Parts: sequence; structure tokens; C-alpha cells
Amino acid sequence: MGETIKGQQNDQKKKTNMIKVDQECFMKGNDYIINVEHLHKQFLVDKKPMDVLSDINLSIKRGEFITIVGHSGCGKSTLLKIMCGLVDYEDGIVERNGHAVVGPGPKCGMVFQDHRLLPWLKIKDNVGFGLSALPKKEREESVRKHLEMVGLKGFENSYPAQLSGGMSQRAAIARGLANNPTILLLDEPFGALDALTRIQMQKEILRIQKEQSTTMVMVTHDIDEAIVLGNRIVVMSARPGKIMDIIKVSEAGRERNSEEFGRYKKKIYDYLFSEENNEMTYKDVSSDIDEIQKKKKNAS
Amino acid sequence: MKSIKKTVLALIVPFGIIVAWYLAVKYGHTPEGILPSMEKVWKAFKTNIENGQLTNDVLVSLSRVVKGYFVAAILGIVAGSVIGMSKTAKDLFLPIITVIRQIPIIAWIPLIILWCGIGEESKVVIIVLAAFFPILVNTENGIEKTPEGMLEVARLYKLNPWKTFIKVYLPHALPHMLVGLRLGLGVAWMAVVASELIAASSGIGYRMSDARSLMMADVVIVCMLVVGIIGVVMDKLIGVIFGMFTPWEKLKKA
Repeated sequence: MGETIKGQQNDQKKKTNMIKVDQECFMKGNDYIINVEHLHKQFLVDKKPMDVLSDINLSIKRGEFITIVGHSGCGKSTLLKIMCGLVDYEDGIVERNGHAVVGPGPKCGMVFQDHRLLPWLKIKDNVGFGLSALPKKEREESVRKHLEMVGLKGFENSYPAQLSGGMSQRAAIARGLANNPTILLLDEPFGALDALTRIQMQKEILRIQKEQSTTMVMVTHDIDEAIVLGNRIVVMSARPGKIMDIIKVSEAGRERNSEEFGRYKKKIYDYLFSEENNEMTYKDVSSDIDEIQKKKKNAS
Repeated sequence: MKSIKKTVLALIVPFGIIVAWYLAVKYGHTPEGILPSMEKVWKAFKTNIENGQLTNDVLVSLSRVVKGYFVAAILGIVAGSVIGMSKTAKDLFLPIITVIRQIPIIAWIPLIILWCGIGEESKVVIIVLAAFFPILVNTENGIEKTPEGMLEVARLYKLNPWKTFIKVYLPHALPHMLVGLRLGLGVAWMAVVASELIAASSGIGYRMSDARSLMMADVVIVCMLVVGIIGVVMDKLIGVIFGMFTPWEKLKKA
């Protein structure tokens, strides 16, 4: 008897909690398109858990351009893949449009560092890859529109092998945008491009973002790129990946030759290359080496 | 210019063989039943074509190859795809397949004859066995090597398993599969000749063995040349047909 009453009370509690959560979501739903709270992520390395992301809190407004910078291995790509639904997480809240992320969805596109076009599909079929549910006419229309948007009109029937690196990356962006997502996640999309092409692509992605008012989150290791593109810059530390600071960038600060740009750059440099941080990574490595040596001793 | 040089280089060794053959017949005093003259071989070729025997033998052997190869291709592609995509299936089947593959096809023939007799079935079974493994192994290899990044794209766009197979795994494995199918066809052609040599009452292999027992070396040589030429023609043909299936592969090399 007692147990059932307890159970009922618990149910009641859950229900009120759920209503609360729902209300919160509804309220947040208007402002925040992506909401990450107390996110933790671990990877198993040699059967031992290793913290990749630790206590990540990040709320992204509709139409915002967020850039994430950090050393390689700080988990920034993992964070992006978690937002996308390609990677699971252990603990915390990750929401898109007020709903917990359980997998990839059509309203959230993603562009990878290596363009990942399928070599056996023509450019038009690569761009229309996620549109198989649409009728043929609409699909063709969307492909045409997005190819034009990224400046690849006339390359519909080419194969990826016939395009240069920059053009392939444009095609990948067109694929990411083809089903009109409200969110586009970009994982170092210009990392493999030469400096001139990169600057040109940065301009174009900004133009597209303004035209479509898509919310964009871009991971990059290029500090200049982060300042030029981001409304806000998320600076991350490594092992485990933590957010050190979120820097708001003023419109004037996004100009490469402005004084403010230099100030932002210095601030980010100081975060990423302060001695304190370097020492920490050295310590991490040395303790890792100690452990490996211990293991070897035990094994022998 | 390059292609002319290539053709000339390719012809030097065959020309040398023909000269050596000619000289051996003229000055070597070998008996006709062991090494016939080129003229005699040509005559044997003409008579065998005229009386329809050679064409008939070739057709019999080819029809066996087609039957066996078709079955082997289907089995090999299906099994290779399953083993390539499922780790469990791979761990279950691949070790035993690797062991069985080491047995030369000739070594199967006695057992196959015991089980299936010396009729049509035994030839087809031998061809299936011979062609199955190269097709399976290459298909498996092509499927398994599909880059994780491309599969992630499939997951991003929520493709179901069947569509993922059709749109990602299969096209990626296709060039590998074609290599397997090409190897398989070569092996199948060799296997049919070998099995007919050992036990048969028709086919090009049987004709060779029959001619040998009659000491007709000219017919044996005619059959050998025909086997070789048909093998090359089939290989080239299948290469051209498969090239049409994978237009993007040519671009990669360019």
C-alpha cells in the first residue's frame, strides 16, 4: 500500500517537473534555437574513460553566427557533432528548437572539413542528396537555387573529382543548405583551403548567412576567421574541453584592419597560449607518460 | 608515338617465338606428332572450323562458364556485401573462407566428380567454386573500406540501411567488385578447361585431351590458342563494359 502511494507521489512530482520543463522550453523556444546545459562527454580510450567535454553551457540565439576556437583535440568538433545528433552524450541537456536532440534532423545541416561529396554522384545529385523525399521538380529547383547561391552554376553535371578544393567545399555548403535548414553547423569547413580562397569563402558564407538568416555554428582553428565571422566567439580549453570564455564581437570589430579586431585577437591569443595553460598541458602529458610506463612495468 | 612504341615492344617476344618455332621444325627434326609445323596447325584450325567441331566445343565450354559464373557472381556479391557490412558475419565466416580459398581448384575436382558425377552439374559446380572466392573477397574488401565520413553523411541525412547500401556502400565497392568479377571470369574459364581435361565428353578441354590421345599435337595447339584468345577477349570485353558503370573512376586517374 505504502509503496503505491509513494509511487503516485513520485509520478505527480515528475508530471509537475515535466510541465515546468515544458514551460521553460516554450519560453526559451523563442530566443534560443540551440541550448546546451551542463553537457559532459566521455570517450573510451584503451577501455578507460577520458573526459572530452566537461560542463559545457551554451545558448545560441536564432540567426546568430557562433564561432568556436580552441586547440586541436579540445572536443570542439565533438561538441558540434553532439549538437547535430551524430554523437551521443552522457550527461546534460542538448536541445534544438526546444526539443532534446536524439539524432540528425532535416532542419539542421552540417558541413565537414573534408567536403565529403560522394565521388560517384554528379554535383547536382550530391547537393540534392538529402532531398530524396521531395518530388523531382522541387528537388531540382532547390539544387539549382543553392548551386547558384554558392556560385557553381553550370557545374551540375560535373563529378567532384573535376572540381577544385574550393569549389568542392562550395558544393558541400550547397548540400548543407539544400533542405533549407534553420541551423547550419560547420566543422572547420575552410581548413583545407588556401589563404586567398578562404577569405573569399568567409565573405560568401557571411553573405549567405545574412540572406538566409540561418543560424550558423562554426568550429575553426583560425583566430582571424573566428573574429570575422562570429557574433560571439566561444574559446575552449583542451582535455577536458571546457568553455574558457564567450566573447561578444561588435560589428566594427569584425573588420580585419580595425583596432578592435586586434584587441579581440590578443584576448583570444592570451587565452589559448597563456603559460598557465601550456603548463597544464605539459603536466597532463607527463602524467600520461608516467601511467604508460607504470602499465608497462605491471605488464612485464 | 607512345602507342606505336608500345605495340612494337609487345610484338617482339611473340615474333621471336614464331621464329624459334619455325627454326625448330625446319632444323630440329622433331616428329610431327610432338611439334607440328605452323602450316599444319593452320590447316587443323581451318578443318576444325569448317566441320563445326571447334565452334561447337567452344560454345559448350562457354555455356558452362556463363551458367557457373552467373551463380558465382550473385552468391559472391551477396555474401561479400553481408560480410563487408557486418562485423559479426565477418568474424563468423572470413576465417573459414580464408582456409578454403587456399585449396587449388584442381584439388576440388576429384571430390566434385564423386558427388556430382562427370556430367554438366560437376562442371558448373567447379566453375562456381572457382569464381566465387575472388568475387566474394574483392566485394567484401570494397564494402568494408567505405570511408566512415561518407557513412556519417548517410546518417546525417537519415538514410535507411537499404538506401545506405545502395547509395554509399555499393557505389564505393563497385570498382573493387569489378576487379573481383574480372578475376572470377578468368578463373572460371581456366577451371572449365581444367575440369574438361580431367573428365568430360564435350567442350574445348575434352577436345584437347582427345587430340592428345590420338597424338594430334596440331589440334592441341589450336585449342590452346583458342582458349588463350577467348580468355583475352572476355577480359577486355568485361573491362570495357564495367568501365561504363563507373564513369567517375576515370576522372580520378586523370
